[in-house]
Amino acid sequence: MWKPVHLFAFKKKFDFLGQRKAALILSTLINVVSILGVAFVGLNFGIDFKGGIAIQARAKEGVAQLDTLRSTVGALGVGEVSLQEFGEASTVLIRIQRQDAGPQCVAGAQRVLQKRVGAGWQAKPGAAGTGDVELTSPAALDGAGWRDAVSRVGLTILERQLPRGATNIAKVDMTPEQQAEWCQQVAIKQVEDAIGTNYEIRGTESVGPKVGDELMVSGIWAVLATMAAIVVYVWFRYEWQFGVGALIAMLHDVISTIGIFVLLQLDFSLTALAAVLTIAGYSINDTVVIFDRVRENMRRYKKLGLVELLNISINETLSRTLMTSGTVFVAVGALVLFGGPVLYSFSVAMLWGVIVGTYSSVWVACAGLVYLGLRADHLRPAEEEKAEKAKT
Amino acid sequence: MLNLPRWQAIVIIAITVLSGLFALPNLLPSSVLDVLPHWYSQSRIGLGLDLRGGAHFLLEADLRSVLNERLTNLSDSVRAELRKQQVPFKEVTVDPGRALVVTLRDEAQRAKAIEAIRVVDPALAVSGAGDTIRIAYSDQELFRRKKEVIDQSIEILRRRVDETGTLEPTITRQGDERILLQVPGIKDTTDLKRKINQTAKLTFHLVNEDVAAAGANIPATLPPTTFLVPTREGLQELRRSNPKAWEDIQTANPRLSPEQICRRYQPQCLPVLKRVVVGGEDLDDSKATFEQQQGGRPIISFTFNSAGGRAFCAATRANIGKRLAIQLDGEIISAPVVQSAICGGSGIITGSFTPQQTQEQALLLRSGALPATLTIIQESTVGADLGADAIRAGTVAAIVGTALVALVMFVAYGPVFGGFANLAMLVNLLMVFAGMSILGASLTLPGMAGLVLTVGMAVDSNVLIYERVREEKALGRSAFSSIATGYERAMSAIIDANLTTLIAAVLLFGFGSGPIRGFATTLSLGLLTSMFSSTIFTRMLLSIWVRWRRPTELVI
Repeated sequence: MWKPVHLFAFKKKFDFLGQRKAALILSTLINVVSILGVAFVGLNFGIDFKGGIAIQARAKEGVAQLDTLRSTVGALGVGEVSLQEFGEASTVLIRIQRQDAGPQCVAGAQRVLQKRVGAGWQAKPGAAGTGDVELTSPAALDGAGWRDAVSRVGLTILERQLPRGATNIAKVDMTPEQQAEWCQQVAIKQVEDAIGTNYEIRGTESVGPKVGDELMVSGIWAVLATMAAIVVYVWFRYEWQFGVGALIAMLHDVISTIGIFVLLQLDFSLTALAAVLTIAGYSINDTVVIFDRVRENMRRYKKLGLVELLNISINETLSRTLMTSGTVFVAVGALVLFGGPVLYSFSVAMLWGVIVGTYSSVWVACAGLVYLGLRADHLRPAEEEKAEKAKT
Repeated sequence: MLNLPRWQAIVIIAITVLSGLFALPNLLPSSVLDVLPHWYSQSRIGLGLDLRGGAHFLLEADLRSVLNERLTNLSDSVRAELRKQQVPFKEVTVDPGRALVVTLRDEAQRAKAIEAIRVVDPALAVSGAGDTIRIAYSDQELFRRKKEVIDQSIEILRRRVDETGTLEPTITRQGDERILLQVPGIKDTTDLKRKINQTAKLTFHLVNEDVAAAGANIPATLPPTTFLVPTREGLQELRRSNPKAWEDIQTANPRLSPEQICRRYQPQCLPVLKRVVVGGEDLDDSKATFEQQQGGRPIISFTFNSAGGRAFCAATRANIGKRLAIQLDGEIISAPVVQSAICGGSGIITGSFTPQQTQEQALLLRSGALPATLTIIQESTVGADLGADAIRAGTVAAIVGTALVALVMFVAYGPVFGGFANLAMLVNLLMVFAGMSILGASLTLPGMAGLVLTVGMAVDSNVLIYERVREEKALGRSAFSSIATGYERAMSAIIDANLTTLIAAVLLFGFGSGPIRGFATTLSLGLLTSMFSSTIFTRMLLSIWVRWRRPTELVI
C-alpha cells in the first residue's frame, strides 16, 4: 500500500498579507475593468435573456460553410444574424435576433406558405395598429385544409377564427404582441427552408420577446436574492467584520466572473447565471474555513497583532484551502474538457470562479479584516467561555 | 464521538442500503429490469428533453380576449333582460378587459335595472351611480374563470396531442395563464401544431325519431341522412360486460366508425341525422349549476356565441319535442329533449342528474373547442441524436471528473482515508440518484454538470476533516483522539460551506426554469446528501476501522 502525499504541506510560512496593498490594487483593477466592460462592451447575452432564435445545424456533407450560411440567412430579412462553429467543424449555431411584428414578418410568412403549402399563397398585414393577418389561398379550402395550412406556418389559433366553409380568404385576428411571438416561428421556418437542403437541423430554440424580458428581470432578482440570503447567513453566524469581509470577497468573485464573460465574450445564458449563483455560494467556502481558524487563533493568541495572526491562520489552513479548491478544480476541469459545447460557458466560468474564489478568500476577505480593524474584543464569547461564565 | 452506539450504525447502514435500492433501477441493464417487478423497475430517473430529444412549448392563453368575449355575450343577455323587464336604456357598452357599462334613460329605474341584471347572473358585482351601472365579475369569479380556462385548455390539449396514447406528453400549468407542453421524442413540431389546431369534435345532431321509434330493432339499412352513434353509457356498459370487444375497438386499425361499432358490438346506439346543427367551436361555455326554481335540481347550463346561438335557435324552434344528440369524439354524451325554442344564446339541460354527473357533462361539453388562443412564447426542439451527443459528453465528463477527484483523494490521504472518502463519494452519488428517483426529477445536461460539481464539493468535507486530523496528530494526540477531534472541529466549517452553496442552489431552483432546474436539483440534493455521506457515513467507517485495526499511528 502507498503512503499519503502531503500535496500542499509547505515548510515555508508565507507573508500573504504583506502583499495586501498590491492585492488591493489588483482586485480593484479587475473589478473596475469588469464593471467598465459590462457598461461599455456589454455581456454577450444569450437568447434566454434577449429573446431570439438559436438553431443548431449540421452540414450533411463536409464542413459548415459559415460565409455562405451568413449571406443566405442574412438575406431572409430576419434581422441580425450571428454564426459560430459549435463543437465541431460540421456543426454551426445560428443565432437570430428576436423578431418583431411587421410587414417583413408577414412577407416571410408568405414565403413559408408558398414553399410549404403551395405556390400562389399570399399573406397580407391587416388593419394598422393590430397584428391581424389576411391569408389568401389560390383555391378554396375547407376547415381542415385551413388548419393544415396555418399549422405549417407555425400558427396556433382558435378554431373559430378559421373559415368554416369553402373559401379562399382567412382573416386571422392577433394583437401585435401575439404576432411578434408568431414571427419567431416564421423566422425558424424560413431558415429551415433556406438551408434545409444542405444542412440537417439538429435542434432549435426560440424565446419570444415576452419570456426574454421576464427572464432578464428574474435573473437579476435571483443574483440579488442569493447574495442577500448568503450575507444574512454569514452575518448571523459571524461577527460583522467577518460578514463584511466575506461579502466583499463574494462581490469580488461575482463581479470578476461577470467580467470573464465580457472578456471572453462567452454566451451569457441561463446556465451562465447558474454558474454565477454557484460561485456566489461557493465563494464563501474557503473564506469560512480561514475565518474559523482566525477566530480560534484570536482566542488563543490574545496579544498577537492582527496581520501576523491572519498570516498564521492563512498558513495553517493553506493546505486545506488548496485541497478543497483543487478537487473542485479537477472536477470542473473535466467539464471544460469533455462537457461539450453546451456546457462550455458554464464550465469556463466555474473554473474561473474556483480560482478567483481561492484568491479572494486570502487577499480580499482577510485583507478586508485588516482594513476593518478587527480586534479580539470584537469576538462574541466562544461556547466554552459562555459555559465557564455561567458556572461562575 | 467515535464510539458509535449500535443503533446509530444500524440506521446509517439502513439509509445507505435503502439509497442503493432506490438508485439501483437506474443502473441495471434493461434485461435485468424486465425480470423485476414493475413498480420497482419503473421508479427510474427520467431524462430531460435536452438529453432525450423532443419538443418543449410554453403556451400563453389569451385570457383577455376570452373575458371580452364573455362580456360581449353578457351584454346581449343584459339587453334582452332589460327589454323584457321594460327598463328603457340608452346603451350597454363593453369596457374591454373589465366591465359592462349600462346607461339608463331614466335614473328612477335604477333599482329595477339592477334587479334585471341580477336575474342574468346573481354573481355579478354592480357599482356606479346615477344613470350608469357598471357590471363586472368579482375578483373571485375572475380567478375562477381564469383557472377554468387553463384547466379546460390542458384537458383539451391532452386529448388532442395524445390521441394515440403513445406520446407521453407532460402538460402542466405554469403560473396564472401559461401551459407548459413537453413531448419527448418528436422532432417535427408542425405535426404537433396541427394537433393543437385540431378541430373540435363536438357536434350537435337531431335524433332521427322515426328510426329511433323502432327501439332495439334498428333496421339494417338506414336512410342516407342518418347514421348510428353509440352512447357514452352504452360504451361504458360494453366495456364492463365485454372487455374483449372494448379492446378490439381500441386497437382496431383503421379505426372503426361509430356506425361500425354499433353494428358489430351492439352497444346502446342512437340514430342521428348527419347534418350538424351546431359545432363545438361555437359553444362558449358550459357549467354545472342548479336550477333556480323547482327545488334546485342539478342542471347543466351552456352558452353559444352569436353564430352558434342563431343556428341553435332555428333548430330548436323547428324541433320541439325531439331529442338533440350531443356527439363528442364518436360518442353521444347526452341527448336531451328540446322543451322549447332556445334563443338568446344560452340554455340548460335538465334531467335526473347527480351534481357529479352535471360536473362531468359540463366538462365534456367544454372539451370541444379551446377556450382561448394559445400563443407559443417559447419553444425548443432537440433532435434525438443531439440529445445522445449531450448524454455522451455529460457521461464522459462525469466519469473523468469523478475518477480524477478519486485519484487526488487517494494520493493525498492514502488508501484508507482516501478510500473511505471515495467510498463516501460513491454513496453520495447513489443517494442523489435515489433522491431524484423518489422526487421523480429528470436528469438534464446542466443536471449532469451539477453532479460533477457535487463530486468535487462533497469530498471537500473529508478534506477539512482529514486536514484537521493531521493537525491534531501533529500535536501529539493519539490516533483515536485525533480522529474524534478532527470530526468535531471541522464540523462548523463544513456546515457553513455547504449551507451557503445550498442557499444559492435552492434560490436558483426557484428562479430558474427548464434544464437549469435540473442543475439546481442535483446540486442541492448532492450538497444535502454529502452532509450525511462525507461526515456521518465516513465517521462510522472510521470508527469501525479504528476498533478493528487499533492503529498506534495514523497513516494520513
